[in-house]
Amino acid sequence: MSTGTDISTDAPDPTGTGGGAFGSEDWAGANANANANVDGDSAGDPYGRGHSPLRILRLYFRFLGTHFRGAMEYRADFWIMMVAAVLTQAVSVVVLTAIFRLIPELKDWTFWPIVIMFGMVTLGEGVGSLCFEGMWRVAWLINQGELDYMLVRPYPVLLQVTSSEIGLNGLGNITTGAAMLVLGILHSSIHWTVATVVVGLILLVSGVTVKVAISLATNSASFWVASPSPLFAMAVHQAGELTRYPLTLFPSPLRVTLTVAVPFAFIGFFPTDFLTGSHALWIALVTPAVAGYCLLMAVLIFRRGMLRYESTGS
Amino acid sequence: MSALVAAPQTGAVTPVGLRARSRPYRAIARATLRSVLAFRLQFALSLLSVLFQLVAMLTVWHALLSARSIPGFTWPQMEAYLLVGFSSGTLVSTMSDFRVSYRIRTGQVALDLVKPVDYQSARLAETAGSLVTELASICFVWAVMLAFGLRIALPPTPYLALFAVSFALIALLKFSVIYLTGLLCFWTKNYVGLQWCRLAVTSVLSGAVVPLSLLPHWLGTTAQWLPFAGMSSTPGLILIGDATGWYAVRLVAVQLAWAIALWLIARLAWRGALRQLTIHGG
Repeated sequence: MSTGTDISTDAPDPTGTGGGAFGSEDWAGANANANANVDGDSAGDPYGRGHSPLRILRLYFRFLGTHFRGAMEYRADFWIMMVAAVLTQAVSVVVLTAIFRLIPELKDWTFWPIVIMFGMVTLGEGVGSLCFEGMWRVAWLINQGELDYMLVRPYPVLLQVTSSEIGLNGLGNITTGAAMLVLGILHSSIHWTVATVVVGLILLVSGVTVKVAISLATNSASFWVASPSPLFAMAVHQAGELTRYPLTLFPSPLRVTLTVAVPFAFIGFFPTDFLTGSHALWIALVTPAVAGYCLLMAVLIFRRGMLRYESTGS
Repeated sequence: MSALVAAPQTGAVTPVGLRARSRPYRAIARATLRSVLAFRLQFALSLLSVLFQLVAMLTVWHALLSARSIPGFTWPQMEAYLLVGFSSGTLVSTMSDFRVSYRIRTGQVALDLVKPVDYQSARLAETAGSLVTELASICFVWAVMLAFGLRIALPPTPYLALFAVSFALIALLKFSVIYLTGLLCFWTKNYVGLQWCRLAVTSVLSGAVVPLSLLPHWLGTTAQWLPFAGMSSTPGLILIGDATGWYAVRLVAVQLAWAIALWLIARLAWRGALRQLTIHGG
């Protein structure tokens, strides 16, 4: 079976399941491969195809591209999602402006650094929706038994799941997030050196990684919590929204939780703290480590979930 | 059953009397309540989401009010005001968006058209069913807050009565807004975007996170006259004693007027929306 030909249909596929047409001779191989995928690796691939990182990346963009073309068939829906994303962010800006109209600084934090923090969190959210929206479908895929289809296709399951949908609202979030980030940086007098730029970029990438990893980990909880919608992940996501505001405002149990247990604080708070004030070395060192750890844990949790998966049997 | 009378032309039986006519709606409400109770975990988790928003707003306003004072919004007042905001966020929140839009998006609405119940009232009945658990959890959160040192200076009895009326109207207003948003699914395919738009607009214009008087002047005064103010600001201001006398009565009157108007607008919108419906055999 040639790679990708079965998915690059031009017909819109709103359900996001991708094409499902297999040639009959592919069934045996696909099934054998599916077993290998359940074990979390593709070493048992009978055709010895293996999945090189480059190939996975190519497939990944191919999958997303299909969904993008599908989604763009519904122009009105696209604009609704964009407007929704921008409106949601506009609301946080209105709230923030209203607060800082009353008070020049909130526990040593002024307006613009908080805008930077909002920007980073929003950017992370945007990348999550645009590139990895499929994570949020895990619960639905399990509930509907659609995960079975993915098990019999010769691609890594995690790849198929994460790219099973595209969240076009992510475009809106990335735009507004980047705008907030740039405006915030322009208005707060940061002393830029080569080192700050490099560390700043590393922190930004790490922050986005943390956000995506936490979403994947919490959505994988759906393997244990039977529910058609990812309410656990949504609740955790809402908890993460707390870190749009300076962590120092919160009581210490909450601060510890948001730093250690679910490290949302590394998405916006610590990077912003580094850029606009402290320049603390430990932030520059720990943030990428936290990102790596989160990603590793998320993938492990997903694999544990896959081992536990029982089809709905329909 | 004695209340069933055969219609002269068609021979179909129609129930007579309020009790008989409301029976299907009561059954719908009971069925919804049962399904909410069956998915307890889901309900608890969705409640948790709203609670985190409450924690965020409480923290930010606490930090702000410990740095400066705002006339009309002392810390205890602000706490109570934000709790009303939380309550309005919890009322009519259990899957209501989903229930209203899902039938339209999947075409199930076609089956509803042949049922001898009024569509809008049936959806309201569903909402009423889930209200039971929502009210229970609101009471629970208020009790916890009271146990942890929330002190409210209750307004005099007439105002408490006015608050009760105003609080009850939240449910009706919110239902109409959600129902109207859901009807838009006759024209679009996507609902999540519409829901987000609704949530964004409501959260600012209802004053649930920032009191309307603290918004920029033009925005605050406009919002006062919109239906959204009745979804959090009006009951909040009455409870903390910031709205008194005729001003309070006027606010509730605006709220009531919008509740009636939106209900009727929704009826008209339903008629218009039905023309968009194409049913493909089956």
